[in-house]
This record gives sequence, C-alpha cells and structure tokens, in this order.
Amino acid sequence: MAVSEPMMGAGTKQCAKRLASLAIVALLATLMLVSTTFAQSAMGADQAAPPKLPGEKALPGEAGGPYPDPLEPFNQTMFTFNIDLDQWVVTPVAKGYSYVLPEPARHSVNNFFRNVGVIPRFANNLFQLHVYNAADELARFGINSTLGVAGLFDVADSWFGMKQHNDDFGLTLGHYGIYSGAYVMLPFFGPSSVRDTVGLVVDGLMNPMDWLLPWYVSISADAGSQAIDAVNYRSLHPNQFEEADRYAVDLYGAVQDAYMQTRTAELKRLAQ
Amino acid sequence: MALSAIAGAILVLMLAEAARPTAAWALTRPIDEVRQVVNQSLPVLRDAHTPLTQRRRQLRTLIEHHFDFADMARIALGHHWRELNAAQRAQFTQLFTAFIENAYLGKIQDYSGQNVAVLGENSEGEGFARVRSEIIQQGKQPIEVDYLLREINGNWKIYDVTVDAISIVANYRNQFNRVINDQGFDRLMADMRAKQQQLQASLGS
Repeated sequence: MAVSEPMMGAGTKQCAKRLASLAIVALLATLMLVSTTFAQSAMGADQAAPPKLPGEKALPGEAGGPYPDPLEPFNQTMFTFNIDLDQWVVTPVAKGYSYVLPEPARHSVNNFFRNVGVIPRFANNLFQLHVYNAADELARFGINSTLGVAGLFDVADSWFGMKQHNDDFGLTLGHYGIYSGAYVMLPFFGPSSVRDTVGLVVDGLMNPMDWLLPWYVSISADAGSQAIDAVNYRSLHPNQFEEADRYAVDLYGAVQDAYMQTRTAELKRLAQ
Repeated sequence: MALSAIAGAILVLMLAEAARPTAAWALTRPIDEVRQVVNQSLPVLRDAHTPLTQRRRQLRTLIEHHFDFADMARIALGHHWRELNAAQRAQFTQLFTAFIENAYLGKIQDYSGQNVAVLGENSEGEGFARVRSEIIQQGKQPIEVDYLLREINGNWKIYDVTVDAISIVANYRNQFNRVINDQGFDRLMADMRAKQQQLQASLGS
C-alpha cells in the first residue's frame, strides 16, 4: 500500500492533465459551433447573388464575397506578430542554419519530422475509413524508420513509390460534416480555422511523448522540435513570403484565401 | 506553403512541354488551346539571345491572345462589379490586366528548365472546361496547375488558373473584396496602382 500511494498520486496528476486537455477541446468545440453559426449566416448574406444585368453570362465565382472574418482584429494582430517573428527571428536563424547545413541534409531533417508525425496521419486516415492510406502510412513508417535510417530518407517513396497521405483531425471533423467555422490566425502556427485549431490540439494529444514524459519535459521538447521544424522548413522555402507579398495587393487576404482554398481542396481530395 | 502559389501560377504559362503535333483540321478544343500557349511560350523562354525586353513583348502578345482579361477582372471583383459605372469598370479592367501581365512577365527570370505536362481536359458544363497540367521540376513534387477556360464565339479563352488547387482569381477576389469593404474602391485602385508600379519597376522596362 505504501508503495502504491505515490503511484496513485502520479496517476491522478496524469488524469487531471487529460481532463484539462479534454476541457480545452470542449471549450474550443463550443467556440467552433458558435462561430460556425455566425460565419454561415455572414456567408449567406455576402453570397446572395446580385441581380443579373442583361447580356452578361454568369461566370463561376462572380457573385462571391470575402470570407466572413468575425475574429479579424485578433487575426490581424497575430498576422503582424507572425510576420515580424518570421522577419526578425525565423529568417535570420534559417539563414545561418542553411549556411551550416547543406540542402540535402535539410531535406533529411524535413523527412525526419514527417516520419515521426506518422501517428496523426495514420489515425485520421483510419477515422475517415481510408484503410489503405492508413496501411500505407504504417508501412511507410516501418520502411523509412529502418531502410530510411530513422526517417532521414523517404525511401518508401523513392524506392517503392509509396506516397505520404496527409491527414489531420481538422480534416476528420470536416469529413464528418463540421464546417470550418471562423478563420483564425494562430501565433506561431499560422493560418487556421476554429475547426482546424481543435484538430491541431487533438492531433497534438496523440503525440506519445506527452504521455510518457513529465509535462514540463514534453512541452519544452515539443516546442523545441517545432521550432527546429519551422526553421528547417523556412530554410527550404527562402522566398516564400517575399514572393507572395510581391504579387499581393492585400497580403492578409491572400494568405486567408490560400488557406481556405487549400483546406477545401484537401477535403474534396479525401472524399474521392 | 500555398503562398508561393500566386507567384507559381504565373510561372506555369511560361513553361512548356515538348511540341506535340495537333491535327490542323480539328476543331479547337480547350486542351489544344492550353498546349498552344505552352508550346509557344517555350521557345521564348529558352531563347537566351534575344534581349529581355523583346522577349517580354512576345510573351505579352501571346497572353493577350489566349487570356480573357475582361472576364478575369469581372470575377476578380465579385459582386462589387455591379456597383461600378462603365468608366470605373474600364479603369479597373485596364489596371488589373496590366497588373497580371507584369506579374506574369516578372517570372521570366525564374525559369530554370522546368517542363510542363498537359494531362487532360474535363468539361465544367456547357461552354466551360478545365485543362489539367503539371509543372515537372527535378527533385521536387510536381506542381498541379489547372486552366479554366470558357468558349467565346467558338474560341476557348483562359479566365482563371489554379495552382495546387488555389484559384488565382478567387484569391485576388478575396483581397479586392476586403479592401473595398474596409476602405472603398478608390483605395483599391490606389493600392493596385502602387503595386503595379513596383512590379513595373522591377521589370526594368
């Protein structure tokens, strides 16, 4: 009994942590439903077709308006924050980093992160009953972790032609008919929606590190690995923002639309 | 990320696939139209001897022939188009055309031997079609590029391009609508003019 008491204490803490996570998910889910209703009615108002002028043939999308954006003040602030972060922190670090690490090595770092991110991809493919995709993900993980030297090389693709099947919990929710809800610009993570933010949290909970290590270790390890991933990604896409800004009249709107269109396309692709 | 798509969209037309013979007697199909653009852009892009300004002029003629800028401008403005008078519409169409052309011509420098495979066409309803293609680049995933065309008096014209499933015209529509809703049409024109001048300056001609 005396031995099992501290164990029980640890178990209770773990339990409390899980409950807290669940509470966050529930809160976000409520927010999602509220903002979804809001966004849907706003969308309806915006997209009411205007009266047709004679002699004009209807073209796809000509009646379209901008995305409803009830969280815009918050999003604008976070957008500015992310751009500043990119300009003053991530890009300089990425520059130094690319100087030290040659491009093939950076591709390998990228492969490594994609390989360890197998669990959410596997699980969500399974949630959506894409059984073959889920099986592919498992096989890819097995092949790349061994033949691909701990995931540094994507030999499952280059030798066996097995492609990665991207999937996440935001897409699973979408697959089962949950609307994206309002657009959200998250600090550090970038463009998202209320639905996809819930997805991000749920996918994050699938990280086995969180369950095996004390929370302060797993959180700092998470943050550290995400920072490396971000810097590495930026080093492989050095002109991304500059290029977009060069052709955008309103960069915020360009990013917002690109995100929304991409998510819609991913859902459509998964439905096929 | 998806951001580079806007730039990438413009790149695609400049790339080309190996010339494929098309029967001279056949009626024009959407896919032939796209192949023509691609095949005619290729020699201009690879031609390192002709001065850059002259190559830009050749490409400008080419895109003016195959793109329907009037329609593109109209859909890019969304429902706000209805609120404009004839003079404003003409002004906007002219500025938008110059903007897209310059954005596109600015991509000449980025061409580095990529190839384009035109994959096939789908009907999108009477008088509308989608032609699917891929930019093939060495050591990277191909970029999916679709051309949306409509038939005008027996000719197929391109009115939108999607890059990795992002419609360029829809992307601009979101930007334009936001600016008009928050700050009005005149502000949009001013912003576009400023951007257009930047692009023009970077072209150096």
